[in-house]
Amino acid sequence: MSKKILLLSSVIFLSSCATTNISELGDKFLDLINPSDDATEVAMLSGEETLVAMDEAGGFTIDELEELSNDELIAIAREKGLEDLILLDEDGNLLNRDQIINAIVESAALLESKSEELESMSDDELIEVAVAKGLSEEIVLDADGNLANRDELVEAIIENAAVTEAAISEFGNNAGSFTLYFGYDDTEIDEVATRIIIQHANFMQENPSVNLRLEGHADERGTREYNLALGENRALSVKEVLGLYNLDDRIIVVSYGEEQPILTGSNEEAWEKNRRVEFSYY
Amino acid sequence: MKIIKFLISFSIFISLSANALLEVNIIKSKEAAFPIVIAPFEIVGDSNNVDISKIIRDNLNRSGQFNALSTEALITNQIDFSFWKEHKKDAVVFGKIEQVSSKVYNVYIYIYDVFSEKSLYQKKIRVHNSGFRRIAHFLSDKIYYVLLGQKGSFDTRLSYVTVIENKNGGRTYKLQISDSDGYNPQTVVRSSNPILSPAWSKDQKKLAYVSFKNNRSEVFVMTPFLKTIPIKLPKFDGIASSPTWHPDGKSIALTLSKSGNKDIYLYDFESKPIPLTTNIAIDTEASFSPDGSKIAFTSNRTGQVQVYIKNLKSGKISRATFEGRYNAKPVFSPDGKDLALIHRVGKDYRLALLDIASRDLTVMTQNKSDESPYFSPNGGMIIYSTNRDNKGILSIISLHNNQTVELMQKEGEVREPSWSNYSN
Repeated sequence: MSKKILLLSSVIFLSSCATTNISELGDKFLDLINPSDDATEVAMLSGEETLVAMDEAGGFTIDELEELSNDELIAIAREKGLEDLILLDEDGNLLNRDQIINAIVESAALLESKSEELESMSDDELIEVAVAKGLSEEIVLDADGNLANRDELVEAIIENAAVTEAAISEFGNNAGSFTLYFGYDDTEIDEVATRIIIQHANFMQENPSVNLRLEGHADERGTREYNLALGENRALSVKEVLGLYNLDDRIIVVSYGEEQPILTGSNEEAWEKNRRVEFSYY
Repeated sequence: MKIIKFLISFSIFISLSANALLEVNIIKSKEAAFPIVIAPFEIVGDSNNVDISKIIRDNLNRSGQFNALSTEALITNQIDFSFWKEHKKDAVVFGKIEQVSSKVYNVYIYIYDVFSEKSLYQKKIRVHNSGFRRIAHFLSDKIYYVLLGQKGSFDTRLSYVTVIENKNGGRTYKLQISDSDGYNPQTVVRSSNPILSPAWSKDQKKLAYVSFKNNRSEVFVMTPFLKTIPIKLPKFDGIASSPTWHPDGKSIALTLSKSGNKDIYLYDFESKPIPLTTNIAIDTEASFSPDGSKIAFTSNRTGQVQVYIKNLKSGKISRATFEGRYNAKPVFSPDGKDLALIHRVGKDYRLALLDIASRDLTVMTQNKSDESPYFSPNGGMIIYSTNRDNKGILSIISLHNNQTVELMQKEGEVREPSWSNYSN
């Protein structure tokens, strides 16, 4: 709020200083403003404020959102259940405008397909999905043990999915996945790998709705069943590091052994690429 | 009828039958032990287009213990023994298929010893016409036994996994069973997710296997000859894999990874699985001895991948392999004296035979990536998977003269073979 006043007064001030060296004054003023908000300031100074009618279907284009004020963006984000993503400074001003805009756009697209999918599920299937996402607390059962709040549960699941999607893309993963590689017959995590895994641990701590599936793989050499075991050991090594951050109950470990190579071929290049653990957030 | 001429047919096998998905190639054939003539069977009535004598010849040749040839003319009781002695054949087999009704036939077989000119065996068998291939296999085992004093391995079945790349991406996996010669393949499980480790129960009634259809490794049991739904073993934490049947067919040993520790468990389908190993190392790939008193398995408990044997009565575990740094996937021979396993030489993974008592290890191939060996039920052959031109194929090696027979598919790969016990 105070930023608006500051800017309004700066407009008034600048326009009243017609004969003075405007740019010099303007520079001094701009110094006081957070440099990252430059784009925003230009929009504000133009003096235009447009009210955008809320689209019932929930879809906004990036252009439409870019024209909105921070407060309007915050309001929309809250309505879409993206509260957790909003970053504010000490004065309550929006710091991560771009991220919020992206999240709103993505959540809209997600909303449509997700709600269709969920609507077609039976009550039992819905309950299963809710539990898998850590939303057991949202489930309300009636006296007979049947689902009593289907609509609310669907909404909760959709919100949860929107937050997760946004968090994952913000973290910079490609479609929520990341790969760690290993040496031959090796399941050890070295220092470099440990540091990478810690980054992921931090990400998970900051985003409680996000869950992780670790998939262990091995190259084709050696026997199939032994490689299944090796793959699991690799994924478990990664899980061990994450376990230090109390994230165990949000992690699933699976091994594919040599059954799902990324690269086929009996050569070093293929073998290197196949000895891996894949991180898959969901 | 006198036999005037005969043509020698060469032992090159190319499958032309539309019924065989697997093509069969013999690539190495040393001088085989027993020269024998198996004449085309005389056919009375409507023939079934199944050439019983050819199936028998192919079987006997595949075993590596016979050099079985045909003749151009039929033999019907009038055998020219001096002719066969001249051509150094040790035995002559001939027979007759006689139609009795629209679907029922009598099959007659006669085995004669050339040197003594005596009849060694003759039999009449009543057969339904859908069973001609089976009868050919049954008779092959009979001939084998009469002439060599050992059981053959022909009236048996194979199970294996085929993999085909789909045109639109992804793969199709099929668990198939076939005759011991690769003919008559039947798909019993089909999936877009990996299938591995098929294992026959001793009575051939059940097949256990590992499937990733639920996006993790789980063990299933199915009955290939009854139309029942495959049973999934209860959900265990982590990996469930590497199933192998106890000879009594009532329980299986399998690998489970409770709390991340991979161990071998005994599961009787009723009570909780009982751990057979408890070491924190990887313990997997178990195989029961023929009397069920021991298991051989793979373990990396000393840091290297080696084969161990556990005596289930005494509980004692002893190491079995002492050559090389990687030995895995052991299977017991039917007489319990040997293990077939995979042994690493340099960078290559090769089929090897271990004499358990003497600890002598014989490397059987020069290949780069052999896997999953299995003995034929008479112990005379080992089937395993390997690569040819970067494609997965099955290979059967005869332990008598190292003769090798290859089974492959025109499209896609074959892997993970398992050899059943006798069908009769």
